[in-house]
Amino acid sequence: MERSDTIWRVLRGLALTLVIIFFLFPIFWILLMSFETNEQVLAIPPKLFIHPTLMNYVALLSGKLQTAAGALDITFMRNLWNSVLLSVCSVALSLVLGVPAAYAFARFRFRGGEDIAFTLLSFRFAPPLLVLLPLSLYFQDIGLANTYIGLIWVYQLICLPLILWIVRGYFEDASPDVEYAYRVDGHSWWRAFTRIAIPLAGPGIAAAALLSFIFAWNNFVFALVLASADKQPVTVGALAFVTASGIQYGQIAAAIVLSILPTLALALYAQRWLVEGLSLGAVKG
Amino acid sequence: MSDLAIRPAASSRPWLPRLLPYLLSLPALLVCIGILIPFGTAVWYSLERYNLAMPYTRGFIGVQQYIDLFTDPAFWHTVQVSLIYTAATVGVELLLGLGIALLLRERSRFNNFVSVALLLPLMTAPALAALMWKLMTNPGFGVLSWVVSLFGITNFKWASSPSTAMLTVVLVDIWVYTPFMIILLLAGLRSLPQQPFEAARLDGVPPTFVFWRITLPMLMPYILTATLFRVLDSIQQFDIIYAMTQGGPGDSLLVFQVSAYLNFFQYTNVGGSAAILMVLWAITYALSNVFIKQWQKLRERAHGTV
Amino acid sequence: MSLTIRNLHVAFRRNLVLDDVSLDVAPGETLVLFGPSGVGKTVLLRAIAGVEPAARGQVLIDGRDVSALGPDRRDLGMAFQNFALYPHLAARENIASPLRARGVASAEIEARVGRVAELLRISHVLDHPPRALSNGQKQRTALARALVGQPRVLLLDDPLRNVDAKLRYEMRLELPRLLRAAEAATIYVTQDYREAMALGDRIAVLHRAAIAQCDIPEAVYDAPVSVNVARLFGDPPLNLLPCRPVAEAGGLRVEAAGLRLLLPAAREAAGRDCLLGLRPETITVSRAAGGGAGTVRPAGAGGAGVPVEIVAATPLHERMVLLLRAAGGVELLASVLGEPPQGVPVVLQADEQRALLFDAESGARIPHVARTLEVVA
Repeated sequence: MERSDTIWRVLRGLALTLVIIFFLFPIFWILLMSFETNEQVLAIPPKLFIHPTLMNYVALLSGKLQTAAGALDITFMRNLWNSVLLSVCSVALSLVLGVPAAYAFARFRFRGGEDIAFTLLSFRFAPPLLVLLPLSLYFQDIGLANTYIGLIWVYQLICLPLILWIVRGYFEDASPDVEYAYRVDGHSWWRAFTRIAIPLAGPGIAAAALLSFIFAWNNFVFALVLASADKQPVTVGALAFVTASGIQYGQIAAAIVLSILPTLALALYAQRWLVEGLSLGAVKG
Repeated sequence: MSDLAIRPAASSRPWLPRLLPYLLSLPALLVCIGILIPFGTAVWYSLERYNLAMPYTRGFIGVQQYIDLFTDPAFWHTVQVSLIYTAATVGVELLLGLGIALLLRERSRFNNFVSVALLLPLMTAPALAALMWKLMTNPGFGVLSWVVSLFGITNFKWASSPSTAMLTVVLVDIWVYTPFMIILLLAGLRSLPQQPFEAARLDGVPPTFVFWRITLPMLMPYILTATLFRVLDSIQQFDIIYAMTQGGPGDSLLVFQVSAYLNFFQYTNVGGSAAILMVLWAITYALSNVFIKQWQKLRERAHGTV
Repeated sequence: MSLTIRNLHVAFRRNLVLDDVSLDVAPGETLVLFGPSGVGKTVLLRAIAGVEPAARGQVLIDGRDVSALGPDRRDLGMAFQNFALYPHLAARENIASPLRARGVASAEIEARVGRVAELLRISHVLDHPPRALSNGQKQRTALARALVGQPRVLLLDDPLRNVDAKLRYEMRLELPRLLRAAEAATIYVTQDYREAMALGDRIAVLHRAAIAQCDIPEAVYDAPVSVNVARLFGDPPLNLLPCRPVAEAGGLRVEAAGLRLLLPAAREAAGRDCLLGLRPETITVSRAAGGGAGTVRPAGAGGAGVPVEIVAATPLHERMVLLLRAAGGVELLASVLGEPPQGVPVVLQADEQRALLFDAESGARIPHVARTLEVVA
């Protein structure tokens, strides 16, 4: 009996180790590559133990690359800044729009309420290009093409459903009696909303915000269609990086590392809420 | 069911309590409307012969657009490619995800560490994941090419050859999205009641029986929800495929959204691309209705009440 | 500082909870709202506070119609049944909330909160968050929050329910003093009839979506308007015996369980099916006659005693509850002081003056009419 137990335990450990290797290896490898010179990258067989160099990161951060053919300008930092700006602003806007709406859907039963809520949910599953392609033509007409404002507005398609459905669940879970008591004490409806309802839904709002940020940051197709080079976030920028001539593989790897670092860090920080967020509130982690 | 909310004092502004929910959700509503306009436009475009390069030919052709679409072998090729992609990715992710979730079922330090580690691929932007794998499968220096060569397979073309391109992108998709399955199924497994399993253990029921007759049926809502979620995403996959090969080599990876994108930007065929997207939308709309029912069931369970 | 409720109507879907309820509470008066669990007492309180969206009707405070005002403009204090404390604030801040809403200066807030906390014996937990408090402490914090603002109207929803027995007894003595000092019109909800009778200047009995009776405690107890109201008071509950009274000189002759009573009740009830209500404490159990000369029979006792058998005896508080079986198998409960006679034949006697007569069909009580007492020698 015991022997088969240990055998199972060993097998399980082995299987999980293989799983971890498969899922973590690419990240590890790119990380390694980012510390290699071009010669080291191109060497076959690939080496695991190398002398790390920071030259790739220096090139990216300083925006200049010294090659045999002369100095090249690298605009990757601009892409990074675009990602930060777009993600932060989109999430902020969606919080301002979404939290009161989530409250309304949770506390009130009003005509058209469920319809609006489900329409917003359906945005999550509709093909984005359906909206983006006509929008790209509209934007040119109304002058929103390649603007931050235009992009932030369209990013609401990503962030708003998430905020709405996760935060709504938290408001629904909280008993309205606590808000009533605050009203009876003499506080206005607005104060009850801001001083009681929102703080008590705090964890949910934070979780929704973090998840929205991650999805906004990782987005590719929105910026591909609606932004030009100077407003593109890292997802599109990294791709352009690859096809540009004269860029070295070490730098591409470093660019990728810088691009995925924020979301990976946030994911580790917010892991508790990820299950709930990913399932839009259907499953509690 | 009466409202649960307190409305503000009515005496000074009698209209306020009734309108409050609308006021609160108005901004979100406006965004809704803002999105529905381009949607409506797309519907209209799909009924037009509209090419940006030949604006003089623009005109309403109605259903003819769809007839042309459905008689175009390229369209059916797109359907085929998309279905293969979806079936391969979701199928493998479900099986792999279920297996790994079962391995991680117990709460232990090691299992928790693994669960957290598995989050990382999921949180990587799919476009960047494709980029990473592109580097790893580079025929010149890519580590995966080197590994494969150790098994005697030289000159494996990965994404450069029509015969292996599908395999490559499916692999990337599996790498990114299997953790999604794992997370959801694991949460489902951990939320199952303990009594049936304890009773089965006391009764000496064999583990395979327990799995097929107890675990699996109880897990079915989660499996269905997760699968539908992934099917909905896979059938409209764009990022990974575009980042990897832009739909190539040739037309081997022309799934719905990639095909529509190229139609729009390369061939400037607005009407045609809109039609493709409408077909895709119809599919996802039907599927999402099924999905929402399952998803709501889980939500009720999570929150205790409707 | 008076409170008036007119035509209050609350219905949830098809469930009628309050049907055209009207009440008046004078300034400084404590009106106890009493009734069994689930009857709608909390709903009534919430309707007065303005936190019951389904409520229709009028609420007037000091003659001013506040029905259209939100709860924050009605100047009420309310202690919720489920406490409704703010989880993210310490007890001190919970209690201070009404004062902060009014913009009272911090120093004064501290003083007033301290005073109320001391009155309610929660000074030592003021800095704890609600989750660190026991149920009794939470309840008292909620009560403190309701009192601290010295509101004109106080709504207390069973504030002593979760308090342990000893503390409840002490609070029951302190509360009337507290409420009197507050000079507010108070509605106090309880399911405990003893609490109702101890605390209420008047008791409003809520039954089947309406106020069945609203009167001083003695009147509700001794002269309940219906058998439903009578049943709600008294522990153990009163005995109800079917009977058919016969008109006689001096009143109605009622026979039940072997007892023959002459009740000074209205003649119209003669010949109707009725219920004789005997409260257990109005029944005396004594040794059977033949215990010798000098046996004292209590004045007003209905004639000679009825032989009964003591089936069971259970102590209840300071009294003894006896389950008696009379002729014909009729069972009665009696509540007596001290030990009952043991091992000897015993008889039962009932106090005619305190006996209640109800119409069997309508449940309404048939009132007594004044008559002169006859003393049995």
